[in-house]
Amino acid sequence: MTSRKPALLLLLPGLAFLLIGFAVPSLAMLFAPPGVTAGEIVGRLGQMLTDPFDLRIIGRTVGLGLVVTVICVALGFPVAYLLARSTSRWSGVLLALAIFPLLLSNVVRTFGWLVVLGKNGAIGQLLTTLGLVDEAPQLLYTELAIVLGLTQLFLPLAIISCYSAVAQVDPGLDDAARGLGASRTRTFWSIVVPLVFAGSVTAYTTPYLLGGSGQRMLATQLFSYSSVTIDWAGASATALIMTVLVFVVSGLSSLVARKGATS
Amino acid sequence: MTTRRPVAGTLAVAGYVVMIVPILFVVATAFTSERTLRFPPQGFSLRWFEAALGYDPFTQALVSSLQLALIATVLALLVGIPATLAIHRGRLPGKGLVEALFLSPLIVPELVVGLALYQQLVIGFRLDAFPVLLIGHTVLMLPYAVRVTGASLALADPALEEAARGLGASPLRAFVTVTLPLLRPGIFSAALLSFVTSFNNVPLSLLLQSRDFRTLPVTMLDYVQQSYDPMVAAMATLILAGTVVIAVIAERTVGFAKIFGGINR
Repeated sequence: MTSRKPALLLLLPGLAFLLIGFAVPSLAMLFAPPGVTAGEIVGRLGQMLTDPFDLRIIGRTVGLGLVVTVICVALGFPVAYLLARSTSRWSGVLLALAIFPLLLSNVVRTFGWLVVLGKNGAIGQLLTTLGLVDEAPQLLYTELAIVLGLTQLFLPLAIISCYSAVAQVDPGLDDAARGLGASRTRTFWSIVVPLVFAGSVTAYTTPYLLGGSGQRMLATQLFSYSSVTIDWAGASATALIMTVLVFVVSGLSSLVARKGATS
Repeated sequence: MTTRRPVAGTLAVAGYVVMIVPILFVVATAFTSERTLRFPPQGFSLRWFEAALGYDPFTQALVSSLQLALIATVLALLVGIPATLAIHRGRLPGKGLVEALFLSPLIVPELVVGLALYQQLVIGFRLDAFPVLLIGHTVLMLPYAVRVTGASLALADPALEEAARGLGASPLRAFVTVTLPLLRPGIFSAALLSFVTSFNNVPLSLLLQSRDFRTLPVTMLDYVQQSYDPMVAAMATLILAGTVVIAVIAERTVGFAKIFGGINR
């Protein structure tokens, strides 16, 4: 057993990394960005929460995040349920196929939608070849494109979380159905909602490639403030909104999960 | 299984289509012989693979990405494994709090961490972008190192190490010969997850890029914005092939589901 002094020594390098590379800069950003005062950030925050342009970006980010979360649960739970209950020898392959995208670059996964939804893309070509439409509809750079891209990104996470919940319930039990219902609700609120929602409202690659400049979200707006217009107050205020959004939703959903577990 | 539960079956099929089909389309367009990205691809050629591997910004960025991912993975393990030992085996006050601190980079949006590091360290302290990027990637991987190796450590019986000590082994020798071998699968999983996470990272690498150091995903994003030809599809296909190799190694050694079980629990 390690006693107290060596244990602290073992922790020291990690704590140094966390302080220098995470905690201190993150806190400093909120109070002292280069050449900007905390007061200016607060002013900017107030402006964003009243300006119709900024409000539309916040609204789109939250709205699409909610839509993607609902879709990921609606598609992820059936996949997890069928995989966990299936006795087919293909279920192992299908499970691996659902996990594999997690290892694959977001850029590669999102790029696929450019080929599917783009002007000369698969869907447009299919519709015009079949004579259903005269001109391929605009699918890329729409909210629909962002929803599809984000669903592709976060569905594997939803499937894995639901899978471990379903696999824990013994199907032979009399009250398996009720147990399944309870564990489904708990998994939904304690794991799937925070993971998928937080991922969706902070993802950058997807709104950048599939939403373009017409469908800005908080993440693309943050990058634009910090690297294009160099507006530090705007960047810090956007970062603050994004962080609060993630924390509030994770907090709320863990509250709901706890309440569901006790009632 | 689809016949007995038609609704669930249909939804599940839709899920797989959304997850997998776009990736197949990337591969299909990479082999086109045409100059533009269109569907269905015409002809078959490897010209775009040749083009991608002969395009300096891509090859340089690939080398940069591999370097960064390797060094950051090693750093995260060197720093993370001792911390895991201290958290699980040490007599520390407020253990839960310390562990929560090590996992906290997971809950703050990566873009926010990237912005903070850029503002405070690159601009504020005038540090070079590369060391800051390295610190940032290492911090992002610490949660994996601590959680995944921690799960292995929880399975290793401390009594074994004590027995070795009782037989006269020094603390270091007891750890290296008894506990470390038990941690091997956990360390391997953590290394694999860290490497892949760093290699694929966009938010930090985007905000902390510099003229001399840009990672592959960031370079590809930039390229797509300027021109829209099958060369990016070819590069993406090469990354896909590399990822498949890593996945197969993971499946053969530790097991896929186990590695990812580590992040969810």
